[in-house]
Amino acid sequence: MATLTRQDLNFGQVVADILCEFLEVAIHLILYVREVYPSGIFQKRKKYNVPVQMSCHPELNQYIQDTLHCVKPLIEKNEAEKVVVVIMDKEHHPVERFVFEISQPPLLSISSETLLSHVEQLLRAVILKISVCDAVLDNNPPGCTFTVLVHTREAAARNMEKVQVIKDFPWIVADEQEVHMEEAKLIPLKTMTSDILKMQLYVEEKTQKT
Amino acid sequence: MDDLYLDNIDEFVHDQNKIVTYKWLSLTLGVHVNTAKQMLYHYLEQKRRESSGTPLHATYLVSGKCVENGSTCHKVSVVREDKLDAVKAKMDVTVSVHVYSVQRAELKDSSPLYSTDYDAVKENLKNCNKYSAIHCAAAVPMSSVELQRAQEMALVTPVEKEISKPRLNESTSATSKPSAKQPTGIMGMFASKNASKSQESSKEVKTEQKDDSALVETSKTKPASKANPMSNFFGKPSQKKVDEKPNKSVKEETDGDSATSGTASIKKSQPSPKSEFAIKEEQSKMSSALKVESKDTRNKSKRPEVVDSDDEKMESQQKKRRLVPDSPPVLNIRTPSPKKQVKRESVSHKEESSEVKRRKRRRVLKSHTFVDEEGSFVTEKGYVSESYSESEEEPEPNSQAKDSSSLKQSFGKREEEKKEKSQKKTSAANKLTKQPSIMGFFQKK
Repeated sequence: MATLTRQDLNFGQVVADILCEFLEVAIHLILYVREVYPSGIFQKRKKYNVPVQMSCHPELNQYIQDTLHCVKPLIEKNEAEKVVVVIMDKEHHPVERFVFEISQPPLLSISSETLLSHVEQLLRAVILKISVCDAVLDNNPPGCTFTVLVHTREAAARNMEKVQVIKDFPWIVADEQEVHMEEAKLIPLKTMTSDILKMQLYVEEKTQKT
Repeated sequence: MDDLYLDNIDEFVHDQNKIVTYKWLSLTLGVHVNTAKQMLYHYLEQKRRESSGTPLHATYLVSGKCVENGSTCHKVSVVREDKLDAVKAKMDVTVSVHVYSVQRAELKDSSPLYSTDYDAVKENLKNCNKYSAIHCAAAVPMSSVELQRAQEMALVTPVEKEISKPRLNESTSATSKPSAKQPTGIMGMFASKNASKSQESSKEVKTEQKDDSALVETSKTKPASKANPMSNFFGKPSQKKVDEKPNKSVKEETDGDSATSGTASIKKSQPSPKSEFAIKEEQSKMSSALKVESKDTRNKSKRPEVVDSDDEKMESQQKKRRLVPDSPPVLNIRTPSPKKQVKRESVSHKEESSEVKRRKRRRVLKSHTFVDEEGSFVTEKGYVSESYSESEEEPEPNSQAKDSSSLKQSFGKREEEKKEKSQKKTSAANKLTKQPSIMGFFQKK
């Protein structure tokens, strides 16, 4: 059927939209499952035809939305390699890093009618895997916080620093200690491959958390 | 049976870190659900005896009679193992307990249980009850002739609706309004229902429910239930928040209540026998509710037409005095009918129980977040009367314009407020033609 290239920005935007929506749900779910915030602020909502937990706290929601809003242009241009949700303890040492490795095939082709429902199914599976990840991870110490890192190419990074996509929401180069974790265990969670998107989700976990 | 299944389950649970529900297991291994439940039980026993390695968690399905809010009801809930004894103690009579799922993870809430079954059921949609223990001989899919007839009827009385219907009020569990609500996804499972069963099953759970009243209603509903048994499962979707985390409960009223309300609603709509089945709701175990739930999402095309026709027929009886003759609008609606059905499909899957594209005032559960005196955020959920019109539609601008104009005319006769087109909350970022729901999230707050 139709074969669109990356130049067809419209389709690139669609992929970025799908991915950013997914990342928003995934981040909320990670915060819920890893108990970064008390479960009282979460509420069941529906996404991809299954229930997911999303936070009701307006500032938290705004923060996550702003974050992804800035990430979206990078994804549109296929410049984002990884989006990482880092959970840090009270001393700001990372204890867990949820890494979403993203890649888009250079030639996006809509080859089937059921493409989007297939993608939805795959994303559903990733959500399910996040829900049960506490079986393979150790508990986090109390008082954790989180942050979102994006791994991208140098040029794009410089761009991001220069241009504030959202006012008063600057992006800065991450510290080395947030990016790399010593004594990390790698736990793969899920890989998904589809025509429009390839994503791998794994967790880097600190061997000793407390 | 040989013990290979134990290894299978072991692989699923430990190696793949899956949640193994009995329904998923039965569909995956191709065994009857009761066999699957026993398999899980044996597996659990064996692992617990060995008491080695990683701890396993299990959830159970408990059903029985209990008294809540002064009325007896049959309660079916999925509970975590640590709450099992407490829930059993609360019930007067425990009718059935069995393993619902086994997993390594300690689930904080019940959502993954539903997700696990979702895809498995979707794969086997046509025969997802092949291994089920709940059967109804009258429940067969409609033939194409009947489908057509139902669609035509839906067109003739398209826009009549109950005023009482889209009340998201959870309090009135007993008196279900005489209309089957559109299933609203997950919420449909939490609906309070009248327990009049039209499905017999071999399980012991069901035998509890059976008495004369139910049987009488069963015979009445049989001819009608052929049309769409799934709508029976979905009563008024109650916004009952589930407090105990992985605890789903489907509460039903039994016997006397259902009989009286059933007959009361029957009186209201005498000439239309079909409406009975719309009133009747069935008590079912979580499995069948889950199965039906997912089935229902697939059969969206069938459901709206049938249900609406029932509702509308009833409505026409009830509101005869108020209605100005509807024939002129009917003609207008006929032409864009195919697209309208398409719209209904996409719309029927709402969580806020809006049936078809309507513009009216209704009470909606809204959360309102504000900062109180101490500077802490407070989120209050309350019912607010709000003007609401359909949000998600297929992005077909032509049909939209046509539809809205025709609908507008038909609504003109109604006593409800007429909204301008501009107030339609269409989900703007609806780029994906196939899947309106993907983009809907940001608009649905």
